[in-house]
Amino acid sequence: MTTITTVKTVERRRPAGRSAARVGRPGIAWAAPAAVFFVLFAIVPLVLVAVLSFMSWNGIGSPQFVGSDNWTKLFDDPVLVKSLWLSVLITVLGVLVQTPLSIVLGAWAAGQQRNRAVLSAIFFVPLLLSATAVSVLWRALLDPNFGVPAQAKWLFGDGNLLGMQSGAIGVLVFVGAWQYVPFHTLIYQGAARAIPKVLYQAAEIDGAGRVRQFFHITLPQLRNTMITSGIIMVVGGLTTFDTVLILTQGGPGTDTTISAYYMYQKAFKGFDFGVGSAVALVLVVVATVISLVMVRLSGYDKMRSAMEGL
Amino acid sequence: MKKRAWFPRAAAAGAALALGLSLSACGSGDSSGGGDGGKIHVLVYGDSANKVEKQIVAEFNKTSKVKAVLDTIPGANYQQKLQTIINTDQAPDVFFNWGGGSIKPFVDAGLLLPLDDFIAKDSGLQSNFLPSVFNAAVVDGKSYGVPMRGTQPVILFNNGNVLKDAGVEPPKTWDELLDVVKTLKDKGVTTPIALGGGDKWPTLMWFEYVYDRVAGPELFEKALGGDKEAWASADSKKALSMLKELVDTGAFGKNFDSVKYTDQGSVTLLAKGKAAFELMGSWEYSQHQTDNPEFAKDGLGYTTFPTIEGGKGDPANVVGNTNNFYSVLKKTKHPEAVADFLKLMYSDKFVKAQLGIGNLPTTTNTEKFLDTSASPEYSKFQFDLVKKAPSFQLSWDQAYPQSAADAMHTAIQQFFNGQLDADGFIKAMQALPTS
Repeated sequence: MTTITTVKTVERRRPAGRSAARVGRPGIAWAAPAAVFFVLFAIVPLVLVAVLSFMSWNGIGSPQFVGSDNWTKLFDDPVLVKSLWLSVLITVLGVLVQTPLSIVLGAWAAGQQRNRAVLSAIFFVPLLLSATAVSVLWRALLDPNFGVPAQAKWLFGDGNLLGMQSGAIGVLVFVGAWQYVPFHTLIYQGAARAIPKVLYQAAEIDGAGRVRQFFHITLPQLRNTMITSGIIMVVGGLTTFDTVLILTQGGPGTDTTISAYYMYQKAFKGFDFGVGSAVALVLVVVATVISLVMVRLSGYDKMRSAMEGL
Repeated sequence: MKKRAWFPRAAAAGAALALGLSLSACGSGDSSGGGDGGKIHVLVYGDSANKVEKQIVAEFNKTSKVKAVLDTIPGANYQQKLQTIINTDQAPDVFFNWGGGSIKPFVDAGLLLPLDDFIAKDSGLQSNFLPSVFNAAVVDGKSYGVPMRGTQPVILFNNGNVLKDAGVEPPKTWDELLDVVKTLKDKGVTTPIALGGGDKWPTLMWFEYVYDRVAGPELFEKALGGDKEAWASADSKKALSMLKELVDTGAFGKNFDSVKYTDQGSVTLLAKGKAAFELMGSWEYSQHQTDNPEFAKDGLGYTTFPTIEGGKGDPANVVGNTNNFYSVLKKTKHPEAVADFLKLMYSDKFVKAQLGIGNLPTTTNTEKFLDTSASPEYSKFQFDLVKKAPSFQLSWDQAYPQSAADAMHTAIQQFFNGQLDADGFIKAMQALPTS
């Protein structure tokens, strides 16, 4: 249906005659490659995971149907509930830490000065490293006996950062921020540069200072960017995996066993693919609900322009 | 217009579909199957020890009509990948494993060939190996594996210089260990015993030894056999209280859960003299030889795990990785060739080659060649240890089914850091799946 209407619009705009126009604007055929890929690699596996969550399978032989066994096991499992809370906690902390930093840095980097360009380029480096490399690096830096904590005992005490829950979560949030703040800074930098200069010029004439300009022009203008970057952070936070795998392995105890890591433990280390699939499905549902709520509350779905009246 | 627009759409959709299909076809590509004409496929964990496996395969192919082909899976994902292919056409004929729990699921699925027939024809396939090692691949009373690399018992390593400075000797009994720890702490060694608690499995080694010394190997065997009460027994509680006492005296320092063995954290503590002991697999020796050669020569010492007075376990018992094994799949088309191949695992050539790369094979003829090893004294110490051991307990996390390993590691870590008390630990161990 959409296709036909778009094609019609095109017809109206361009007089008939040129063959290129006759092929029309993107339609189903154009979307097909992406759609087939999406179905093949996202929808089909998702359905299979749902089916598998009702089966018992250790990777050998054929899966056995076990009804709702996996699910009852899961709902009695204190680690699952804990892992969901931990996922949410790490996500929320990630957003709270990364957003202000990225906005300030982005707004700063949006200036045209040469030194800012150079510093931004340097600051961008962590993003070029793989999450695995970043985790290994920080693991070594935070070694309690030979790393930074050993030199700064006044700050770190006995250096047992990864051996206690608050420390381990702090490290995960910090390393996540260290790696992804540059990315979000980049988004904010682009968005801040797109803010029309006239707004600042007008504000200056009205006598608004730098701080005032930031809070009354830059921030409101970045609203949609904040939502975009926020959603990326939430999705990234809920699916955090590699940093946990290398830095804490879910420990101490199960204190940093977040859902994605718990799923990995169940499925790929314990070879209990049924329960692993059930965990995965819970994670899918939770993540979907959270992003729906975010989109609704933020009014992102309405896509209102931030430049009304310009 | 509609008609003309139809064609490119269909073409694009067709192309996309074809692409998708060809991608999914990759999974069932034409890699060589296990049963093709006159070949046996040997699958091993890919690492530096493959040098010897290649040599042995070449040796075998010199005389055999059926040719052996060596396939390797590199990296730490060996078990996952093996599990994926073992019931497919790409499954090998013979494969590397860790014995015990690592082959149990395959035995349960009826995929593995019991080696009893092979042994009946050539008793050397059993009698030429140290029994404590050979038994680690016995599942439900039948043998499923032949040792094919080196043994790795867990040994109490020490830094001789630190001990000398503190004026103490390596402890022979548990009480001496507690005393030494106290002396060291008084002399300002904050971490008398290095422990890579972040990896969790190094912590497990302490449980394995203390349980074995206090209760003998029978307690763990019972527990593994499904008798959950074993964990609640008096012996179990005694072992736990001893471990607790050791942790509480500060023997491991305060930050052991932030230290790892795998990123060299704990190893460096020992080498730099910040710790006096580390309980670790025999591979620690060669690691120091590579990373801290001077320390390996002048400072690194090693002893057996201390005895525990009144304990039921034989003080000569050891724990650790008994060896790696070759197991055989039932569906192999050339069982005779496979049997001949396995016989090479106790040949002189094999033993010499393994010793040459620093592995310690567990055949009875190994003793003859110990002088040719890279570090003869250490090899002799290890070999004696394993040979004289009435029982060689396979690491708990490998003896239990794989689905239990994570929960076990969690309980181990939580007991050491105080999140679980003895009762909590017992409950956690009772909750582990045993089959």
